[in-house]
Formats: sequence, C-alpha cells, structure tokens
Amino acid sequence: MTRKQRRLTLIGIAAVVLASAAGLILYALNDQIVFFQTPTDVVAKQIPAGQRIRLGGLVEDGSVQRSDDAKVSFRVTDTANTVAVTYVGILPDLFREGQGVVTEGIVGPDGIFRADSVLAKHDENYVPKEVADALKAQGVWKGDGASAQ
Amino acid sequence: MIVETGHFALVLAFVLALIQSVVPVWGAVTSDRRLMETAAPVANALFVLVALSFAVLTWAYLASDFSVVNVWENSHSAKPLIFKISGVWGNHEGSMLLWVLILVLFGSLVALFSGNVPAPLRATVLGVQGWITAAFLLFILATSNPFERIPQAPIEGNDLNPLLQDIGLAIHPPLLYLGYVGFSITFAFAVAALILGRIDAAWARWVRPWALLAWVFLTLGIAMGSYWAYYELGWGGWWFWDPVENASFMPWLAGTALLHSAIVMEKREALKVWTVLLAIFTFSLSLLGTFLVRSGVLTSVHAFAVDPERGLFILVILCIFIGGSFTLYAWRAPLLKQGGLFAPISREGALVLNNLFLTAATVSVLVGTLYPLALEAVTGEKISVGAPFFNLTFGPLMIPLLLAIPFGPLLAWKRGDLLAATQRLYAAFGVALLAALAVFWAWGMRQVLAPIGVGLAVWIMAGAVAELLSRTRITEIGLSRGLSRLVGLPRSAFGTMLGHFGVGVTLLGIVMATAFQTELVRTVRPGDTFDMAGYQLTFTGIAPRQGPNYTEQVGHLVVRQGGAEIAAMDPSKRIYPARGMPTTEASILTFGFSQLYVSLGETRDDGAVDIRAYFKPMITLIWLGTLVMSIGGIISITDRRLRVGAPKPARAKTAGLSPAE
Amino acid sequence: MTLWILFALMTGLTALTVLMPLRRGSASASDAGAADEAVYKAQLEEVDRDLQRGLVDAAQAEAARTEIARRLLAAHKQNQRNGKSAATGAVKWAALLPALLLPAGALGLYLWIGSPDLPDQPLEARLQSNPEGQPVEVLVARVERHLAANPQDGQGWEVLAPVYMSLGRPQDAAQAYANAIRLNGASEPRQSSLGEALVVAAEGLVTADARAAFERAVQLDPAAAKPRFFLALALGQEGKRDEAISAWKRLLDGANPNEIWVPAAQQELAQLEGRLPPSLQPPRGPAAADVEAAAAMSEAERGEMIRSMVDGLKTRLEADGGSVEEWVRLIRAQIVMGDKDAAKASLAKARETFAAEPPALDVLRQAETDNGLGS
Repeated sequence: MTRKQRRLTLIGIAAVVLASAAGLILYALNDQIVFFQTPTDVVAKQIPAGQRIRLGGLVEDGSVQRSDDAKVSFRVTDTANTVAVTYVGILPDLFREGQGVVTEGIVGPDGIFRADSVLAKHDENYVPKEVADALKAQGVWKGDGASAQ
Repeated sequence: MIVETGHFALVLAFVLALIQSVVPVWGAVTSDRRLMETAAPVANALFVLVALSFAVLTWAYLASDFSVVNVWENSHSAKPLIFKISGVWGNHEGSMLLWVLILVLFGSLVALFSGNVPAPLRATVLGVQGWITAAFLLFILATSNPFERIPQAPIEGNDLNPLLQDIGLAIHPPLLYLGYVGFSITFAFAVAALILGRIDAAWARWVRPWALLAWVFLTLGIAMGSYWAYYELGWGGWWFWDPVENASFMPWLAGTALLHSAIVMEKREALKVWTVLLAIFTFSLSLLGTFLVRSGVLTSVHAFAVDPERGLFILVILCIFIGGSFTLYAWRAPLLKQGGLFAPISREGALVLNNLFLTAATVSVLVGTLYPLALEAVTGEKISVGAPFFNLTFGPLMIPLLLAIPFGPLLAWKRGDLLAATQRLYAAFGVALLAALAVFWAWGMRQVLAPIGVGLAVWIMAGAVAELLSRTRITEIGLSRGLSRLVGLPRSAFGTMLGHFGVGVTLLGIVMATAFQTELVRTVRPGDTFDMAGYQLTFTGIAPRQGPNYTEQVGHLVVRQGGAEIAAMDPSKRIYPARGMPTTEASILTFGFSQLYVSLGETRDDGAVDIRAYFKPMITLIWLGTLVMSIGGIISITDRRLRVGAPKPARAKTAGLSPAE
Repeated sequence: MTLWILFALMTGLTALTVLMPLRRGSASASDAGAADEAVYKAQLEEVDRDLQRGLVDAAQAEAARTEIARRLLAAHKQNQRNGKSAATGAVKWAALLPALLLPAGALGLYLWIGSPDLPDQPLEARLQSNPEGQPVEVLVARVERHLAANPQDGQGWEVLAPVYMSLGRPQDAAQAYANAIRLNGASEPRQSSLGEALVVAAEGLVTADARAAFERAVQLDPAAAKPRFFLALALGQEGKRDEAISAWKRLLDGANPNEIWVPAAQQELAQLEGRLPPSLQPPRGPAAADVEAAAAMSEAERGEMIRSMVDGLKTRLEADGGSVEEWVRLIRAQIVMGDKDAAKASLAKARETFAAEPPALDVLRQAETDNGLGS
C-alpha cells in the first residue's frame, strides 16, 4: 500500500466508526429518551396508552394503599389533576404521602399509570428538580429558592 | 489565631499561584534560566501553604470550632472522629479545598520527580498548573470560602448528612479527585508542548507515569463509588448512568484512550497531535465533571452546592480553560512535526482503533449526559436519558473494542500480521468458545446474550494470558527457558496483561450478575420461608435497635442450604434523628464471588414487612476486575525503563522509512 | 500581635522561595535540551539490552536504532538552535513580584475578606473557660454536659429548667422539671412549672399531661394560684363553660389584685361570660404571651436573667439569711454554672452563718464533698 492508501484506509475506518456512533446516538435520542410529564400533561395531552413517560408530582395524602406481595397503589397529583399509579416493589426510603415523587412507566389502557420504578432521592429536603419546577408552575411550591435550583 | 492562619495561608497561596502563572512561563519563552528555576520551589511552597490551610480546617472540625461557618454547617460535636475528618470534604467548600490540595500536590510531585525533564518544559508545565491553581483558589476565596466566621459562635453544629456518614464515602471523593485532578498534569504538559512548539517521543515518556497514576486513582474512585451505591442505596444496582457517575466515567474513557495513544507516541513518535488533543480533552472532561457536580445543575445526592453564583463562576473557569486550550491547539498544533508512519494493520493501527472507539463512546456518554440539560435550557422540555439510551449507544461501541483487545498487543509495530496474531489466539478462542457453550448448555435459550457475553469476557482474559505466554515463546523453547524469559519481560508487559485481564473480569461480573440474577420482592411475616437460588431464607422477625446516632428496625433472616443453617442476615432501616432522615442498610452475604442481598421495605401494621432479596452471581468480579486493572496500572508505573517499539522492518523497500511528512 | 508577626513570617518565607532561585545567578543553559537526548540515548541502550535478552531480533533492533538515532539527531539539532540562554533583564522585574506583589496582594486581600480579630473558639475550651461574659447558650451547654455526665443531679435539672423556659425551649424545660420531680420529689412549684412548660409546648393548650401535673400541684398545695389558674383555663378550653366560670370566680375571690395573673384571669372570665366582643378576645392563651415575651428578650437580657436569678438568691441569703438548704442550692447553682470560685465563697459565707449549728455544718460538709469543693 502506498502512503496515501494507508492514510485513506485509516480515515475511512475512522469515518465509518464515527458515522455509526453518530447514527446510534441519533437513533437512541429519538427512541430511548423518556419525557417528563405532570398529571396535568397526562390529562391535557392525551398521552397514548403504552408510551413510556416519567410522571412526577406529589403523592396525594391518604391515597397510598398496600396489598400483599409489595403491591402498592397511590395517586400522583400536581394539585390541578391527579393520576392513579400502581407499582410492585419496594418504595424508596423517602417515599411519603404529601412528598414529591417521580415514577417511570407506561399509561395503561384503563388510564392507570403502571410504574416500574419510583424515585425519591436521598435527601430529606430533596424534591426532584422536575417536580419542583412543575409545582412552581402551579404555584404550589413553597420551598426556598435555593433548594430548587 | 489558628483558623486565621489557615485563611491567610490560602490567600498567600492564591497570590503565589499568580506569580507561578507568570514567572516560569516568561522564563521559558525568553530562555531565562533563573526565571524558569523559580517553578519548582514555588510549586512546593504552594503545596505547603494549601496543606497548611487544609490542616487548619481539619483542626477546626476536630476541635468543633463552630465560629467557622463551614464547621457549624457540617459537623456536630458528638460525631465519631472518622466522620469529623471526612466531614472536612463532605461539603462544597471543603471538597473544593481538597480539589486544590490535590492539584498542588501533583504540582509539587512534578517539581520533585521531573528532574529529567528539560527546564523550559518543566517550567511551563508548572506555570500552566499555576493558572489552574490560581483560578480555583480565586473561586474558593470569592464564592466558597471555608474560613468564613461567625462572631457569635453557636454551641452545636448541624451535623453531616447521614448518607455521607459512611466509610465508603469518606474515601470515595479523595480517590476520585486524585484521578480527576491528576489529569491536570497531562493537560499542563500538552499546553506546555503547544506553547513551546516542541513535542517528541521523550515528551510522551515523561507524561506516561502521570497519566497512569491519574487513571489508576480514577479507576479505584469510580469502583468505590459504584460499590457504595450498591450496598448503601438498597436496591442492588451498581451503575445507574446517573449524570454524576457519567461525569467521572467520561474522563476515565478519555484517559484510557490517552494512555494508549501515549504508548504509540512514546515508542513510535506517531499520533503526536492526536495525543495532545486527547490530553486537553481528558482534563476538559474532568473540569466538566467538576462543573456538573459542583454547580448543582443536576440536583441529586452529590450536589451539595446549590448556588447559581458558584455555578456561573465554575462555568467561566471551564470556558476559559477549555476554550483557551482548544484555541491554542488550533493555532499551534499545525506547527508540530508529524511523526512515524505505520500500516493500518499494526500495533499503532490497533491503538488508533482503540482510541477511535473509546472517543466515540466518550462522546455518546457526553451527549447522553448533556442533552437533557441542553434541551431543557433551550425548549424547557424535560426528559430523562437513562440506561436504555446508554445500552443502545455505549454498548455497541464497546463490543468491537472488546473483541479487538487481544489482537492489539500481538501485532508488531509499524506493520503487523493479522493472520499470525490470530494463530496465536486459537487457544484463547477455543477457551472462550467452551465457556460460551457451557453457559448455553447450563441455561439454554433463557438468556440469549449471556453466552456471548461470557464468551467475550473469557476471550479477553484468555487473550491477555495468551499474549504474555506468546512473548515468552514458552511453547517453542520449553518451560524452563520460557519462564526465564517471562521473568525478563519488562514490567509494562505484565501491566498490559493485568489491565486487559481486569477488563475481562469486570465484563464477566457484569454479564453474570445482569443475566442470571434472581430477584424477589414479597411481603413476609415472621416464620415465612422462601427460596432464593438454592438457599432457603426464613424470616424470623423484626426488632428495634439503638445505634450511636440513629435508631433502626432490624429484620432477622436465617439462611439454610439443604436443611443446614449456614448464616444469618440482618437488614435494617435506620432513622437518623439529627436530620430525621431514613436510610436502608442492606444485608449482604458473599459466597465465593456471588452475593446474596436482602433489604427491607415498608413495615406493615400487622408485623409483616416487605422484603427485597437478590442473588447476584459473580457480582464481586465487577469490582475485583477494576482492582486488577489498577494493579496493572501500578505495575506499569513502576516500570522505569525506557521502552522502544522496535518496528518490524519492511521486507520490500517500497514503504519508505522517512518519518517526516 | 503574634498573629501579624506570624503572617509576616509566612509571607517572608514564601517570598524567599521565589527570590532564592532568582538570586542564584545564571547557571549555564547549555544542558537545557539535553534531557530529551538523554532519553533517546537510554532508548538506544535499551534496544541493545532487548536484543541480548532476545526480546527483539537483530533486524528489528537495527530498525529501531535507525529510528531512535534519527530522533536523537533531530533533538540535538534543535537543542543547538534553542540552547542559547538569554540572561535578560527580566530577573530584576521578576524579583519585584515577590518583593511587592506578594506582601501587598496577600495582606490587602486578607484584610478585605479575613477576620483577624476573631479568636479560635474550639468547643472544649469554650466549655472550660470562665463563665463571665459567655452567651447564655454556652452556659446552657455547660450545664447540659454536666447533666449528661451526672443525670442524677436533681438540683442541676432544677436550675436548668427555668432557663430552658426563658430560652423558648418548653419541651426541654418540661423534661428537666420532670427529672427534678423524679430526683428531688414532688412539690407544688415543680409540678406547676412542669404543667406550665407542657402548656407552652402545646402552644397554650392545656393537654392531659399538663392537667395531671396541675392536679397533683393542687393536691400538694390547695391554695396555690398557678395550678388553679391553668385548671380553670383547661375547663374553658374543654368547653365546660359553667364549671370554668365558677373556677375563675373561686380563684379571683380573695386574690390580691396586684398579682400579675389577675388581669388575665379576669379577661378569661369576662370572655366566658360573654362580656367581651370577639374582636377583643385574646387570640391565644396567656402562656403563649409569656413565650413571646421571652423570645423578645435579647441575647444579653437572657444571660442577664439567668445570672440575676442566681445573684438574686445570693443577695437575699447574704442580706436576710435563709435555710441551710437554700445555701446549698446557691452553691449548687454556682457549680453548675461553672463558677467554682463563687461557689467556694458562698460555702465559706454559709459556714460563717451556721457556725453555731452543727447539723447545718454537717449538711454543708456533705455539699462540699458532693460538689467537689473539698481539698
């Protein structure tokens, strides 16, 4: 191979790798990201059943019901609208009624949200960032400005 | 007086860093030896001053001097000694001070151990270190001063976040910072080379130990953080693709690429311009990580700092250093001389391939980490980029790289022989195939990808061993001569072998723990028994217990195997009253490389409790593998020999040897 | 002063690290580039060693040597070109930096952001030092530490409880009163104060626990006004209007109109009898007003209040005399506040007072050993 051919081979391989990397990233960005929605979004946007979303808000007071084998159902609210959620598994330490929560899963055909993960981060004062913003928009947020940054 | 001495030492260090930023570089540019000679003593003095300052802050924590705001906010007189010490960096101000302490420590090490580096290069490197030091000291003094005082000192402090009161988190940040900040040295070398307009194989020889050192610390730091998340967060995950994890993972990927390209440069004087770019890129990612964690743009466990002013300040530092160094690169890099030539199929070619994939993988992680932030800033739309994204991008980019690992070291420099290399890997391939078939036979079609993954892991491990053996020619020259050749091999050969072997070990752990873990979530009452991967677990009850600064509900389980009682497990849920914060303490039993993991959930009124149990086969291999990699790195550092990549001579004269292009 | 001498010393030493290399005179710069040549020479030797060990074959070694030799030559050429050291006049200017910028910059910046007047305040030392002039929180912390070590010290709890009340920590005060009752026995004032602390903690609501405390107090001293006041309040809060009215009437009947609680009681009575328009009705119970008064006190006032409690007792005993128990209580209080010398002085005075009473002297001797004032 001549020097030029060698260089072309290298550049060619590099181009192929980078192009496939870019392709993968673009494809994944279209397909694998999950949008954050509030209960109001879920009601207003008519999110189709089966689409994967993150649902965030406050756990409605008195809505948590447990049954055997770690099944739990509760309602997530942003004070304007409310969505019923079911989840099987162990809830995080800081999952409490009246506190912020983010759940990920799909909306079932019956309108009930089936969560496969529930996040409540590990800080007593922590309200997930998305939830804080959404609640602020609803005028419910009363936390100090600093902890919502 | 003690506290104010620490404060003054920090101020003095800042002014001294300004001097270090100017004088040695000035000397290097004007070839004035006396100016250059200030670099080393000033670097040492900087270390002494910042260390003094750090020692004073530690003293304030130990003595519970609540007239220091930082101590009052993050300590408590009744806290155990170890957490009083780790509390020093368990908060924003203290951890930034630790960051700078490690920065000047590296500067001092360069001053002490770089006697063989030409004076202008050394002076410029330390000068560039001085820029970084000055910028971050200014950041500390202006926005995050740990020595702020309260005239009327409170009588008790606010205590440290209980989640951080853990031995794992006491050592995780220093290790991680040693890695992050260690790459500032390679960055300084790269910028110095650009300023001086001179770069050659010797440069790579001097940079290599620093890159290796930083890489080893970063590897250990990431592994430690991963293990901490595994046992402390209570749901058995060991990697979450959390932005904070990504922030440390990106410099690791880029740093790994840098290690490999520096080898090519040292031995063959090729890839010079690329290596310089990679050195700048790696430290830029370290700075980006510092920004992401410290500015609070990602509200998460790690973001103790929530102050927009700080975020903006770090962002400005970030832009100046990254923007400045890339501008310098664009301006000066074309002036650097090109180095040696090589064929696509050669050791150099393999290392280029390694760099290509590692960089592409780094970019995929970078996009996944920054895209949600950018999208939110631009459109206000909130998204989460989680494991599915990274599995789809990072995964496919890693597979060809992992497949190629065993080939690389077997190819000759300059022009390699793929066929010959393949022949030497027949045995390794056979072993890998057997392993894959064994997994397939044992578990069948249940997990289609598992046999492939296990095969790949064994392929890498066997390939690493095969490479070492083939260098001894043990099959050709007999055992005793082969062994004597083995002893005579340079230590870096063992370093390479262990580094690659460790990758295989970690991969094996990942594949096994992911594909064959058993998970069980159920509500149990005292007396209930359930099966878990061949073990019978009996829940016997739950009882309260009082700890030193917490109360806990402890569940008790008896583990039996074949009727015989073999162990007990005590998972618990703790409440730290100082902050009213609950934590989950999982109970973990280790059998060989595998672990049984039990954590408690909600307790019901009738005495029943939710339990989450996992059996994670071979999971400890994930962290043992990183340990093996790190040992490989350390062995490579101790190899002080000057290595040469002997090129394979051309058979025909067609390919000219002239290196200059 | 020591601080500034120390700072000057640190600055001087730091400036020396820059000045020393500058003064050291210009060494020959011809070896400036020799370092990379040394690396290549060492690489050449390494190739020979590798060849001997058989790690590379002769052809490879030759190729490697050619390459390295080429690098060596290039490096050598460049070093020849760049090797000239220019002893510029920059040294003079550079020397000005540490001489001027370092002291001026460091001092200026430090004076701007530092707090040179603030001494260190390690917790242990603060708790050991002279109680004079310490803020009340420190005094409380000292008593708390003392009680953590000696939880059976009933007198300590008794001293601490009213301080907690004045600091607006009624929950702690209630706990302290309960401890004092457990250790020193029940008495009307202790039971009433316990009840009062519980009421303040409940923001003016007379809880069941508080009520029980007041009832015990009335049993101990049926004439005491405070528990009867709160019991009447409780009746009103429970909606037993008629019983409450008669309780208030019984309480006010024959009370000295100068007592501070009388206006509040009259107001309660008026409210129950419907003689007050709602707008004039007190928003909360009188206990809440007490808390506000205490909270409104400044730091200094609070400290003053505690000291004045002890001082008041002292003045009264020294002027009017008192029982030996009261003297012991004063000594106890002074010890607990950390003022050992004052306690010793009080002990001496008490000895004088009771010189003629051997049983009282025995009590004092006991107090001396209990409080570690002996020897």
